[in-house]
Amino acid sequence: MSAETTKFPSRWTSLDSDQLFVVVSRLIALVLLVGALSFLSPYFLTWPNLINVLRQASLQFMMSAGLTLVILTAGIDLSVGAILGLSACISASLISSGYVVLGIGSALLAGTICGVVNGVMVTISRIPPFIATYGMLWIAFGLGYVFMKGEVIYGLPDSFRFIGAGFVGFLPVPVIVAVLLLLVLHFMLHRTVLGRSIYAIGGNPDAARLSGMPVTRRLITVYGLSGFLAGFAALVVIARVNAADSSLGEDLLLPAIAAVCLGGTSLFGGVGGITGTAVGSLILALIVNGMNLLGVQTFWQSGVMGAIILISVLVDQLGGTRLARQQ
Amino acid sequence: MDRRTFVKATLAAGSTAAFGAMPQLASAQGGKPATIAFFVKNVTNPFWKACRIGAEKAGKALGVTVETVAPTKPDNIEEQTRLVEDWIVKKPDAFVFVPVDYKALVPSIQKANTAGIPIVNYNNKMTDVNIVTYVGSDDEVMEYEICKDLFKSMGGKGKIVHIDGVPAAITAQARKKGFERAVKETPGIEVLASQPGNYRRLPAVQVFENLMQRFPVIDAVVSANDDMAVGIAEALAAAGRGGKTKVIGIDGIPDATAAIAAGKMFATADFSGHDQAYLAVTAAVRHLRGQPVPKEIMLPVVIVNKDNVTKFMKTPEERDPPDWNTYASGKA
Amino acid sequence: MTDAAHPQLVSRSPVVDAVVNAPGAFYLLAILSVVLAIWTPNFFSTANLANVALQVAVLTIVALGMTLVILTEGIDLSLGPLLGLCGVAAALLVTAGYPLPVAVGSALVVGMIFGAVNGTLVAVVGMPPFVVTLGTFGIAQSVATVLTKGDSVTSLPPYYRWFNDGAFAGIPVPIWATITVFALTWFLLYRTKFGRYVFAIGGNRRALILSGTRVNAYHIAVYVYAGLLAGIASFIMTARMNAAHPTIGVGIEFDAIAAVILGGTSFEKGRGGIVGTVIGALAVGVLRNGLNLLGVGTEWQVAIVGIVIIFAVGLDSLRKLNA
Repeated sequence: MSAETTKFPSRWTSLDSDQLFVVVSRLIALVLLVGALSFLSPYFLTWPNLINVLRQASLQFMMSAGLTLVILTAGIDLSVGAILGLSACISASLISSGYVVLGIGSALLAGTICGVVNGVMVTISRIPPFIATYGMLWIAFGLGYVFMKGEVIYGLPDSFRFIGAGFVGFLPVPVIVAVLLLLVLHFMLHRTVLGRSIYAIGGNPDAARLSGMPVTRRLITVYGLSGFLAGFAALVVIARVNAADSSLGEDLLLPAIAAVCLGGTSLFGGVGGITGTAVGSLILALIVNGMNLLGVQTFWQSGVMGAIILISVLVDQLGGTRLARQQ
Repeated sequence: MDRRTFVKATLAAGSTAAFGAMPQLASAQGGKPATIAFFVKNVTNPFWKACRIGAEKAGKALGVTVETVAPTKPDNIEEQTRLVEDWIVKKPDAFVFVPVDYKALVPSIQKANTAGIPIVNYNNKMTDVNIVTYVGSDDEVMEYEICKDLFKSMGGKGKIVHIDGVPAAITAQARKKGFERAVKETPGIEVLASQPGNYRRLPAVQVFENLMQRFPVIDAVVSANDDMAVGIAEALAAAGRGGKTKVIGIDGIPDATAAIAAGKMFATADFSGHDQAYLAVTAAVRHLRGQPVPKEIMLPVVIVNKDNVTKFMKTPEERDPPDWNTYASGKA
Repeated sequence: MTDAAHPQLVSRSPVVDAVVNAPGAFYLLAILSVVLAIWTPNFFSTANLANVALQVAVLTIVALGMTLVILTEGIDLSLGPLLGLCGVAAALLVTAGYPLPVAVGSALVVGMIFGAVNGTLVAVVGMPPFVVTLGTFGIAQSVATVLTKGDSVTSLPPYYRWFNDGAFAGIPVPIWATITVFALTWFLLYRTKFGRYVFAIGGNRRALILSGTRVNAYHIAVYVYAGLLAGIASFIMTARMNAAHPTIGVGIEFDAIAAVILGGTSFEKGRGGIVGTVIGALAVGVLRNGLNLLGVGTEWQVAIVGIVIIFAVGLDSLRKLNA
């Protein structure tokens, strides 16, 4: 994705006005959604259903978190789903054979390696992120197919499954994990050098480079982090589903991007944040839950998701804060 | 690096890559043993792995080479069409073929007919093409039988949810017809919802988790295949509703038989890809050798439940090859 | 052949483009041809080359539309489902008894409407093309699937097969279609004001806007054109399968983008051209055909496709750095 390299008045790049608009608009959307669904379906506002939604939103958030960071740098990572699938397969095979710690490590390592390779391709080889991560998508799926050979791995030890299927009190573990992840990443984005670099690179890559920032190193770190988080999400997914096969990563990419867009992060880069993605994941989960509760045929779901993406970005655009970016 | 060096390096790298790919080359063209191109729908679903194992066993037993052909994008129609066209050029001795879409692949198989390649069709029945024989199970009858069995165990009444496969797939369409026939004959059964899970576990689980919220009471779930059924059974168990809902699937994969043995699933049907593939390859070889082959080989419906599950717990590798004579004499 | 004051407002000669920038696809195609000529007896057979040409026709047509979009620094992810939707629309109308021109025309209109929506949201509202076309991707997908309830549309009248099986002067219709679309695109891109604006929107949009030209209309037209081409491609695809399937096109938009980039067109700065795109599409087609002929296992094919695309584009990028 090419970041617009035009210069804006500094007040537009101030995160506060952007984030305020995003927060307010998403809160309104959430309230409207919850209100509408409670009205339309008697099953919506029940505890089991809400827990369900929270859990699905948490999983979605974990899958979209790394992608958010990449998109903030005005890049894109099309391989997140494939990396997740590959990590899931490798780790599941180790964990189901009893090597739990090794398995966890392998998922994180596999994800990170793929991510770092993406980062290197984007920076040192100057391959556009779209193509680089598209190629990685094929490679990761291919390696997954080679590794699994059509096999499915079933049955993971209960001790491991806790992180996906367990509860702490009344909250599912994935929810707690997601909240922790959110806090960590939010802190990273706003209080560390890496975080500020991410926004700087996304907002104005030339200025970032001229200011002496080691852009290459930062970008490789970001892509590596995205891969790492994909591997992390893989662990929670296989713990939840108690199985892994090479098709796990399919159909994960588009909802992940949708969650990021719904959260107000712009694909032009430099605008948005991880909190937005958390909210976006929640909205997405609510919408899918609502459609299922109301008996909407699954055929409509991709269309609804597409429309929601358009509406949310349109709202952001017309909200004025993004219009300056496009000029 | 200057331009000339660059070009040389590229050529060198490219050739090395090509040489590196050599081990992957198949001994396809003009080898002494006959070559059978064995088509599957994808390399991700374990059902096709079982098919591949059955096909390779048959190949080994009969002394022919079996090459498995699958699209890189799972179940991709356009890609399978290209695969058929490319393989026609390679002129194997026969195709053992399952279409990703039983209608869309007709023109390309017709091309194979024109090229004189004998086709054995298995698993998803195609029409309007010349085939040596069709090997499969009657999906409609299979689903019908297993549903009737389920409904009987429910005393002929209850609320059920139906999770469909890939709507365009003929197996899904046939199974749905069988399901609907069984429902029509059992007036006490109420269908709460019917949604596609696309034959895959994660999508089916996500759909079902939401359906579970909508319907606090579900007496049974009819799932078009085992991969989805097992996921659904697990979701029910996780929600504490495991004992109250019966789940049935189709395929007879190891995970399902294990679930039945553990009481998490009610029943499945042994839709053995391994057997189908084995018999299909055998049929192809017999045809090439001029031996008689029936027009159709239908594997009987075998319902697997708690009573007989132990007999079906072998992996495809361990499974005994089906006996040609038992199946080839019409309906077994 | 550039104007110093407006570096991108005057397009380069396409022939010069192709030669000087011989894209990664060109080398890829060359290497593949050599390798396949050695390792397979079948690659250079008439039957196989004819196959490849036909297989690549649909991709090329879509990629040509995609080239224009990418030249404007945009992207169109909706072309795949749009292909499915147009195919389904035409097939449904034909099987419902409407005359062929009506069915075909309506399908093309559908493609162009989606294109117009894409273009308007990108040009007028200023939304990122990736997101806009991701949204219309989902919508087109849904509409196509709902129209057929997930099934395919069959029982097409035999004359529909002409789109794929027909031939003039011994050359199949899809090849003629590709040639015609190429010629039309060439004309539009290199001989009309529209074409100059396409390059300019990508290369120097601010200059255009500041100079007061009505950029938006041309910008929207680019997406409309891409939608139109997707519609044309859909008829060929439907005829090839003798059935219209709503998800038939899924994934083709990514292949088209790969073909365009391999062909030397850049995501940024409005550089590139359609000759490269054709070479890129051929390269992709030959790669897949070659992997099949070589008997490479499916699992490895998937990984190899990714490696090859990265490799070819990467070499291109490195070369541009050193040039």
